[in-house]
Amino acid sequence: MLNGLDIEGDSLLHRMPVRGKLIALFVAAIGLFLTAELRLLVPALVLSAALYLSTGIGAGEAFRRVRFVLFTVLLVAGANYLFHSLHEALAVFCRLSTLVLLAAAVTATTGISAFMDEITRLLTPLERFGFVRAADVSLAVGLVIRFVPEIFARYGEIADAHKARGLPVRPLTTLVPLIILTLKDADTIAMAIDARGFRRH
Amino acid sequence: MDIVFSAATVTYAGRVALHPLTLTLTERRIGVVGLNGSGKTTMARMINGLVKPTAGTVTVGGLDTVADEVAARGKTGFIFQNPQHQMILPILAEDIAFGLKNRKLGKAEIAEKTEAVLARFGISHLARRRVHELSGGETQLGAIASVLVTGPDLLILDEPTNQLDLKNRALIERTIAGLPEQVLVITHDLALIESFDRVLVFHEGRLAADSRPEEAIRTYREIATC
Repeated sequence: MLNGLDIEGDSLLHRMPVRGKLIALFVAAIGLFLTAELRLLVPALVLSAALYLSTGIGAGEAFRRVRFVLFTVLLVAGANYLFHSLHEALAVFCRLSTLVLLAAAVTATTGISAFMDEITRLLTPLERFGFVRAADVSLAVGLVIRFVPEIFARYGEIADAHKARGLPVRPLTTLVPLIILTLKDADTIAMAIDARGFRRH
Repeated sequence: MDIVFSAATVTYAGRVALHPLTLTLTERRIGVVGLNGSGKTTMARMINGLVKPTAGTVTVGGLDTVADEVAARGKTGFIFQNPQHQMILPILAEDIAFGLKNRKLGKAEIAEKTEAVLARFGISHLARRRVHELSGGETQLGAIASVLVTGPDLLILDEPTNQLDLKNRALIERTIAGLPEQVLVITHDLALIESFDRVLVFHEGRLAADSRPEEAIRTYREIATC
Protein backbone atom coordinates (compact mmCIF):
# COMPACT_ATOMS: atom_id res chain seq x y z
CA MET A 1 0.00 0.00 0.00
CA LEU A 2 1.33 3.37 -0.98
CA ASN A 3 1.30 6.19 1.49
CA GLY A 4 0.38 9.21 -0.55
CA LEU A 5 -0.39 8.78 -4.21
CA ASP A 6 2.73 10.14 -5.87
CA ILE A 7 5.44 7.82 -7.07
CA GLU A 8 9.11 8.71 -7.26
CA GLY A 9 10.59 9.18 -10.70
CA ASP A 10 12.21 11.50 -13.18
CA SER A 11 9.75 11.44 -16.07
CA LEU A 12 8.75 14.51 -18.07
CA LEU A 13 5.66 14.92 -15.89
CA HIS A 14 7.71 14.64 -12.71
CA ARG A 15 9.90 17.52 -13.89
CA MET A 16 7.02 19.75 -14.98
CA PRO A 17 5.96 22.44 -12.51
CA VAL A 18 2.70 21.71 -10.67
CA ARG A 19 0.99 24.79 -12.05
CA GLY A 20 1.87 23.79 -15.62
CA LYS A 21 0.40 20.34 -15.06
CA LEU A 22 -2.83 21.69 -13.60
CA ILE A 23 -3.24 24.24 -16.41
CA ALA A 24 -2.53 21.56 -19.05
CA LEU A 25 -5.11 19.29 -17.41
CA PHE A 26 -7.64 22.11 -17.37
CA VAL A 27 -7.05 22.94 -21.05
CA ALA A 28 -7.19 19.25 -22.01
CA ALA A 29 -10.52 18.89 -20.20
CA ILE A 30 -12.04 21.78 -22.14
CA GLY A 31 -10.55 20.55 -25.42
CA LEU A 32 -11.93 17.05 -24.93
CA PHE A 33 -15.43 18.37 -24.49
CA LEU A 34 -15.22 20.57 -27.58
CA THR A 35 -14.93 17.63 -29.95
CA ALA A 36 -16.84 14.41 -30.57
CA GLU A 37 -14.49 13.39 -33.36
CA LEU A 38 -13.24 9.84 -32.77
CA ARG A 39 -10.24 10.44 -35.04
CA LEU A 40 -9.05 12.85 -32.34
CA LEU A 41 -10.45 11.21 -29.21
CA VAL A 42 -9.02 7.71 -29.79
CA PRO A 43 -5.43 8.96 -30.29
CA ALA A 44 -5.94 11.22 -27.24
CA LEU A 45 -6.90 8.18 -25.16
CA VAL A 46 -3.89 6.19 -26.38
CA LEU A 47 -1.64 9.16 -25.72
CA SER A 48 -2.98 9.70 -22.20
CA ALA A 49 -2.50 5.99 -21.40
CA ALA A 50 1.08 6.22 -22.67
CA LEU A 51 1.66 9.36 -20.61
CA TYR A 52 0.24 7.71 -17.49
CA LEU A 53 2.46 4.66 -17.94
CA SER A 54 5.48 6.86 -18.70
CA THR A 55 5.40 7.95 -15.05
CA GLY A 56 6.90 4.56 -14.18
CA ILE A 57 3.90 3.46 -12.16
CA GLY A 58 3.68 -0.07 -13.55
CA ALA A 59 0.66 -1.45 -15.39
CA GLY A 60 -0.86 -3.31 -12.41
CA GLU A 61 -0.80 -0.39 -10.00
CA ALA A 62 -1.85 2.00 -12.80
CA PHE A 63 -4.97 -0.07 -13.48
CA ARG A 64 -5.73 -0.64 -9.79
CA ARG A 65 -5.88 3.10 -9.17
CA VAL A 66 -8.30 3.97 -11.95
CA ARG A 67 -10.40 0.81 -12.27
CA PHE A 68 -13.34 2.07 -10.19
CA VAL A 69 -13.58 5.34 -12.08
CA LEU A 70 -13.17 3.58 -15.42
CA PHE A 71 -15.96 1.20 -14.46
CA THR A 72 -18.22 4.22 -13.86
CA VAL A 73 -17.14 5.67 -17.22
CA LEU A 74 -18.08 2.36 -18.83
CA LEU A 75 -21.54 2.55 -17.26
CA VAL A 76 -22.02 6.09 -18.57
CA ALA A 77 -20.86 4.99 -22.02
CA GLY A 78 -23.25 2.02 -21.88
CA ALA A 79 -26.15 4.34 -21.10
CA ASN A 80 -25.16 6.51 -24.05
CA TYR A 81 -25.13 3.47 -26.32
CA LEU A 82 -28.64 2.52 -25.19
CA PHE A 83 -30.14 5.98 -25.46
CA HIS A 84 -28.05 7.59 -28.22
CA SER A 85 -25.68 5.81 -30.54
CA LEU A 86 -22.51 3.74 -30.64
CA HIS A 87 -20.57 6.74 -31.85
CA GLU A 88 -21.74 8.85 -28.91
CA ALA A 89 -20.93 6.03 -26.49
CA LEU A 90 -17.39 5.67 -27.87
CA ALA A 91 -16.87 9.44 -27.77
CA VAL A 92 -17.99 9.62 -24.13
CA PHE A 93 -15.83 6.64 -23.20
CA CYS A 94 -12.71 8.07 -24.89
CA ARG A 95 -13.29 11.58 -23.55
CA LEU A 96 -13.84 10.66 -19.91
CA SER A 97 -11.22 7.90 -19.83
CA THR A 98 -8.63 10.27 -21.28
CA LEU A 99 -9.43 12.78 -18.58
CA VAL A 100 -9.22 10.16 -15.83
CA LEU A 101 -5.84 8.92 -17.09
CA LEU A 102 -4.45 12.43 -17.39
CA ALA A 103 -5.61 13.33 -13.88
CA ALA A 104 -4.14 10.07 -12.55
CA ALA A 105 -0.85 10.91 -14.26
CA VAL A 106 -0.77 14.34 -12.60
CA THR A 107 -1.56 12.80 -9.20
CA ALA A 108 1.11 10.14 -9.64
CA THR A 109 3.81 12.69 -10.42
CA THR A 110 3.02 15.43 -7.92
CA GLY A 111 4.03 15.28 -4.27
CA ILE A 112 1.45 16.28 -1.68
CA SER A 113 3.62 19.12 -0.42
CA ALA A 114 3.89 20.59 -3.95
CA PHE A 115 0.12 20.24 -4.42
CA MET A 116 -0.52 22.02 -1.13
CA ASP A 117 1.89 24.85 -1.95
CA GLU A 118 0.25 25.39 -5.32
CA ILE A 119 -3.29 25.35 -3.93
CA THR A 120 -2.25 27.85 -1.26
CA ARG A 121 -0.76 30.12 -3.93
CA LEU A 122 -3.84 29.85 -6.16
CA LEU A 123 -6.30 30.55 -3.35
CA THR A 124 -4.39 33.26 -1.51
CA PRO A 125 -5.94 36.09 -3.61
CA LEU A 126 -9.41 34.89 -2.50
CA GLU A 127 -8.45 35.38 1.15
CA ARG A 128 -8.83 39.14 0.64
CA PHE A 129 -12.55 38.65 0.06
CA GLY A 130 -12.87 36.50 3.15
CA PHE A 131 -14.09 33.45 1.15
CA VAL A 132 -11.49 30.98 2.27
CA ARG A 133 -8.35 30.49 4.28
CA ALA A 134 -5.95 29.18 1.64
CA ALA A 135 -3.79 27.21 4.07
CA ASP A 136 -6.86 25.42 5.46
CA VAL A 137 -8.01 24.33 2.01
CA SER A 138 -4.57 23.12 0.97
CA LEU A 139 -4.18 21.22 4.24
CA ALA A 140 -7.59 19.59 3.71
CA VAL A 141 -6.59 18.48 0.20
CA GLY A 142 -3.22 17.31 1.45
CA LEU A 143 -4.78 15.30 4.27
CA VAL A 144 -7.20 13.57 1.90
CA ILE A 145 -4.39 12.51 -0.43
CA ARG A 146 -2.18 11.52 2.50
CA PHE A 147 -4.70 9.49 4.47
CA VAL A 148 -6.92 7.86 1.83
CA PRO A 149 -4.40 5.05 1.28
CA GLU A 150 -4.18 4.66 5.06
CA ILE A 151 -7.94 4.15 5.26
CA PHE A 152 -7.65 1.45 2.59
CA ALA A 153 -4.89 -0.17 4.64
CA ARG A 154 -7.11 -0.03 7.71
CA TYR A 155 -9.89 -1.72 5.73
CA GLY A 156 -7.43 -4.46 4.79
CA GLU A 157 -6.55 -4.98 8.47
CA ILE A 158 -10.22 -5.22 9.47
CA ALA A 159 -10.90 -7.68 6.65
CA ASP A 160 -7.87 -9.76 7.75
CA ALA A 161 -9.11 -9.71 11.34
CA HIS A 162 -12.44 -11.09 10.11
CA LYS A 163 -10.71 -13.87 8.21
CA ALA A 164 -8.46 -14.70 11.17
CA ARG A 165 -11.56 -15.18 13.31
CA GLY A 166 -13.23 -17.25 10.63
CA LEU A 167 -15.89 -14.59 9.99
CA PRO A 168 -17.20 -13.69 6.56
CA VAL A 169 -16.13 -10.22 5.38
CA ARG A 170 -19.47 -8.40 5.15
CA PRO A 171 -19.85 -4.69 4.31
CA LEU A 172 -21.76 -3.89 7.51
CA THR A 173 -19.33 -5.58 9.89
CA THR A 174 -16.29 -4.05 8.18
CA LEU A 175 -17.60 -0.56 7.47
CA VAL A 176 -18.83 0.18 10.99
CA PRO A 177 -15.47 -0.45 12.68
CA LEU A 178 -13.73 1.25 9.75
CA ILE A 179 -15.79 4.42 10.21
CA ILE A 180 -15.32 4.41 13.99
CA LEU A 181 -11.57 3.85 13.75
CA THR A 182 -11.23 6.47 11.02
CA LEU A 183 -13.06 9.03 13.13
CA LYS A 184 -10.85 8.20 16.12
CA ASP A 185 -7.76 8.56 13.94
CA ALA A 186 -9.13 11.84 12.61
CA ASP A 187 -9.40 13.14 16.17
CA THR A 188 -5.79 12.27 16.91
CA ILE A 189 -4.62 13.74 13.62
CA ALA A 190 -6.55 16.96 14.26
CA MET A 191 -4.94 17.15 17.68
CA ALA A 192 -1.51 16.54 16.16
CA ILE A 193 -2.09 19.34 13.67
CA ASP A 194 -2.98 21.65 16.54
CA ALA A 195 0.03 20.49 18.52
CA ARG A 196 2.29 21.29 15.59
CA GLY A 197 1.02 24.85 15.62
CA PHE A 198 -0.85 24.83 12.31
CA ARG A 199 -3.28 27.52 13.43
CA ARG A 200 -1.25 30.46 14.60
CA HIS A 201 -3.88 33.13 14.91
CA MET B 1 10.98 26.68 31.86
CA ASP B 2 8.42 26.76 34.66
CA ILE B 3 5.25 24.72 34.18
CA VAL B 4 2.69 25.78 36.75
CA PHE B 5 -0.62 24.04 37.49
CA SER B 6 -2.89 26.08 39.78
CA ALA B 7 -5.84 24.02 40.97
CA ALA B 8 -6.15 22.80 37.37
CA THR B 9 -9.09 20.45 36.99
CA VAL B 10 -10.49 18.54 34.03
CA THR B 11 -14.02 17.17 33.91
CA TYR B 12 -15.52 15.21 31.01
CA ALA B 13 -19.32 15.00 31.05
CA GLY B 14 -19.49 15.10 34.82
CA ARG B 15 -16.62 12.63 35.29
CA VAL B 16 -13.47 14.06 36.82
CA ALA B 17 -10.46 13.08 34.71
CA LEU B 18 -8.06 15.17 36.75
CA HIS B 19 -8.78 16.40 40.27
CA PRO B 20 -7.51 19.90 41.22
CA LEU B 21 -3.77 19.81 40.63
CA THR B 22 -1.38 22.41 42.02
CA LEU B 23 2.19 21.85 41.01
CA THR B 24 5.27 23.66 39.71
CA LEU B 25 7.68 21.80 37.43
CA THR B 26 11.08 23.30 36.72
CA GLU B 27 13.30 20.21 36.32
CA ARG B 28 14.97 19.26 33.02
CA ARG B 29 13.83 15.64 33.09
CA ILE B 30 10.35 14.85 34.37
CA GLY B 31 8.73 11.42 34.24
CA VAL B 32 5.02 10.75 34.56
CA VAL B 33 3.73 7.26 35.38
CA GLY B 34 0.41 5.74 36.31
CA LEU B 35 -2.06 3.06 35.37
CA ASN B 36 -4.17 3.42 32.23
CA GLY B 37 -6.81 6.09 32.73
CA SER B 38 -5.01 7.61 35.73
CA GLY B 39 -4.99 11.13 34.27
CA LYS B 40 -1.36 11.32 33.22
CA THR B 41 -2.04 11.95 29.50
CA THR B 42 -4.73 14.52 30.39
CA MET B 43 -2.21 16.31 32.60
CA ALA B 44 0.44 16.29 29.87
CA ARG B 45 -1.98 17.49 27.20
CA MET B 46 -2.91 20.43 29.40
CA ILE B 47 0.66 21.68 29.19
CA ASN B 48 0.38 22.54 25.51
CA GLY B 49 -3.28 23.46 25.62
CA LEU B 50 -4.61 20.38 23.81
CA VAL B 51 -6.79 19.83 26.86
CA LYS B 52 -8.20 22.94 28.55
CA PRO B 53 -8.72 23.03 32.32
CA THR B 54 -12.39 23.18 33.24
CA ALA B 55 -11.28 25.01 36.40
CA GLY B 56 -7.95 26.52 37.49
CA THR B 57 -5.06 27.48 35.20
CA VAL B 58 -1.94 26.08 33.60
CA THR B 59 0.96 28.31 32.58
CA VAL B 60 4.16 27.48 30.71
CA GLY B 61 6.99 29.99 30.89
CA GLY B 62 4.48 32.47 32.33
CA LEU B 63 2.01 32.05 29.45
CA ASP B 64 -1.51 30.86 30.16
CA THR B 65 -2.43 27.85 27.99
CA VAL B 66 -5.94 29.24 27.43
CA ALA B 67 -5.47 33.02 27.26
CA ASP B 68 -2.12 32.82 25.43
CA GLU B 69 -2.82 29.51 23.69
CA VAL B 70 -0.77 30.00 20.52
CA ALA B 71 2.27 31.48 22.25
CA ALA B 72 2.15 28.83 24.98
CA ARG B 73 1.88 26.06 22.40
CA GLY B 74 4.91 27.44 20.60
CA LYS B 75 6.96 26.72 23.72
CA THR B 76 6.04 23.04 23.87
CA GLY B 77 6.38 20.19 21.42
CA PHE B 78 4.27 17.04 21.74
CA ILE B 79 5.01 13.53 20.48
CA PHE B 80 1.91 11.37 20.39
CA GLN B 81 1.67 7.67 21.25
CA ASN B 82 1.45 6.83 17.57
CA PRO B 83 3.90 9.21 15.88
CA GLN B 84 2.64 8.08 12.45
CA HIS B 85 -0.48 10.11 13.17
CA GLN B 86 1.44 13.33 13.55
CA MET B 87 3.32 12.93 10.29
CA ILE B 88 1.13 15.06 8.05
CA LEU B 89 3.16 14.73 4.87
CA PRO B 90 4.41 11.42 3.47
CA ILE B 91 8.07 12.33 2.90
CA LEU B 92 10.10 12.85 6.09
CA ALA B 93 11.88 16.06 5.01
CA GLU B 94 8.61 17.55 3.75
CA ASP B 95 6.91 16.70 7.01
CA ILE B 96 9.68 18.35 9.02
CA ALA B 97 9.41 21.43 6.77
CA PHE B 98 5.63 21.52 7.32
CA GLY B 99 5.95 22.98 10.83
CA LEU B 100 8.32 25.66 9.54
CA LYS B 101 6.08 26.60 6.61
CA ASN B 102 3.30 27.25 9.09
CA ARG B 103 5.59 29.81 10.67
CA LYS B 104 5.93 31.57 7.32
CA LEU B 105 9.71 31.17 7.07
CA GLY B 106 11.52 31.65 3.76
CA LYS B 107 12.37 28.67 1.53
CA ALA B 108 16.11 28.86 2.15
CA GLU B 109 15.68 29.06 5.91
CA ILE B 110 13.24 26.13 5.89
CA ALA B 111 15.69 23.99 3.90
CA GLU B 112 18.58 24.95 6.17
CA LYS B 113 16.70 24.22 9.40
CA THR B 114 15.33 20.94 8.02
CA GLU B 115 18.80 19.74 7.04
CA ALA B 116 20.21 20.82 10.38
CA VAL B 117 17.63 18.94 12.44
CA LEU B 118 17.98 15.81 10.29
CA ALA B 119 21.75 15.95 10.85
CA ARG B 120 21.27 16.59 14.59
CA PHE B 121 19.42 13.29 14.96
CA GLY B 122 21.63 11.40 12.49
CA ILE B 123 18.79 10.76 10.07
CA SER B 124 19.90 12.82 7.05
CA HIS B 125 19.88 9.60 4.99
CA LEU B 126 16.14 9.24 5.68
CA ALA B 127 15.21 12.71 4.38
CA ARG B 128 13.51 11.50 1.19
CA ARG B 129 12.07 8.32 2.68
CA ARG B 130 8.34 7.82 3.03
CA VAL B 131 7.30 7.97 6.65
CA HIS B 132 5.39 4.70 6.50
CA GLU B 133 8.56 2.92 5.42
CA LEU B 134 10.49 3.97 8.51
CA SER B 135 11.12 1.55 11.37
CA GLY B 136 9.59 2.27 14.78
CA GLY B 137 12.76 3.92 16.07
CA GLU B 138 13.26 5.93 12.89
CA THR B 139 9.64 7.12 13.03
CA GLN B 140 10.13 8.29 16.62
CA LEU B 141 13.33 10.11 15.68
CA GLY B 142 11.57 11.68 12.68
CA ALA B 143 8.67 12.80 14.87
CA ILE B 144 11.04 14.26 17.46
CA ALA B 145 12.94 16.08 14.69
CA SER B 146 9.72 17.43 13.17
CA VAL B 147 8.68 18.87 16.51
CA LEU B 148 12.05 20.18 17.70
CA VAL B 149 12.80 21.91 14.39
CA THR B 150 10.45 24.70 15.45
CA GLY B 151 12.49 25.30 18.61
CA PRO B 152 10.18 24.57 21.57
CA ASP B 153 11.69 24.84 25.08
CA LEU B 154 9.90 21.73 26.32
CA LEU B 155 9.31 18.37 24.64
CA ILE B 156 6.49 16.13 25.87
CA LEU B 157 6.62 12.47 24.80
CA ASP B 158 3.65 10.17 25.31
CA GLU B 159 4.91 6.60 25.73
CA PRO B 160 7.83 7.01 23.31
CA THR B 161 9.21 3.49 23.73
CA ASN B 162 5.87 1.76 23.46
CA GLN B 163 5.96 -1.02 20.81
CA LEU B 164 9.67 -0.59 20.14
CA ASP B 165 12.11 -3.48 20.12
CA LEU B 166 15.03 -3.42 22.54
CA LYS B 167 17.43 -1.87 20.04
CA ASN B 168 15.10 0.98 19.12
CA ARG B 169 14.14 1.44 22.74
CA ALA B 170 17.80 1.98 23.61
CA LEU B 171 18.15 4.38 20.67
CA ILE B 172 15.22 6.51 21.87
CA GLU B 173 16.47 6.39 25.47
CA ARG B 174 19.88 7.67 24.34
CA THR B 175 18.25 10.35 22.20
CA ILE B 176 16.07 11.60 25.04
CA ALA B 177 19.03 11.61 27.41
CA GLY B 178 21.00 13.76 24.99
CA LEU B 179 18.35 16.41 24.36
CA PRO B 180 19.29 19.87 25.62
CA GLU B 181 15.58 20.77 25.86
CA GLN B 182 13.45 20.24 28.95
CA VAL B 183 11.67 16.88 28.62
CA LEU B 184 8.52 15.43 30.14
CA VAL B 185 7.90 11.75 29.41
CA ILE B 186 4.73 9.76 30.07
CA THR B 187 5.70 6.13 30.14
CA HIS B 188 5.25 2.59 31.41
CA ASP B 189 8.94 1.98 30.68
CA LEU B 190 10.34 2.47 34.18
CA ALA B 191 13.97 2.03 33.08
CA LEU B 192 13.59 5.12 30.90
CA ILE B 193 12.92 7.42 33.86
CA GLU B 194 15.32 5.92 36.40
CA SER B 195 17.82 8.72 35.91
CA PHE B 196 15.25 11.53 35.69
CA ASP B 197 15.20 14.51 38.06
CA ARG B 198 11.61 14.11 39.15
CA VAL B 199 8.83 11.55 38.71
CA LEU B 200 5.10 12.11 39.17
CA VAL B 201 2.77 9.20 39.84
CA PHE B 202 -0.90 9.60 38.96
CA HIS B 203 -3.68 7.39 40.26
CA GLU B 204 -7.41 7.77 39.65
CA GLY B 205 -7.04 11.37 38.49
CA ARG B 206 -4.90 12.47 41.44
CA LEU B 207 -1.20 13.01 42.02
CA ALA B 208 -0.28 10.04 44.19
CA ALA B 209 3.47 10.64 44.45
CA ASP B 210 5.94 13.31 43.45
CA SER B 211 9.56 12.59 44.21
CA ARG B 212 12.88 11.24 42.97
CA PRO B 213 12.52 8.25 40.60
CA GLU B 214 13.36 5.44 43.04
CA GLU B 215 10.70 6.40 45.55
CA ALA B 216 8.08 7.28 42.94
CA ILE B 217 8.61 4.01 41.08
CA ARG B 218 8.20 2.13 44.37
CA THR B 219 4.87 3.89 44.97
CA TYR B 220 3.78 3.09 41.42
CA ARG B 221 4.61 -0.59 41.88
CA GLU B 222 2.57 -0.65 45.11
CA ILE B 223 -0.40 0.95 43.32
CA ALA B 224 -0.08 -1.48 40.41
CA THR B 225 -0.07 -4.55 42.66
CA CYS B 226 -2.97 -3.47 44.88
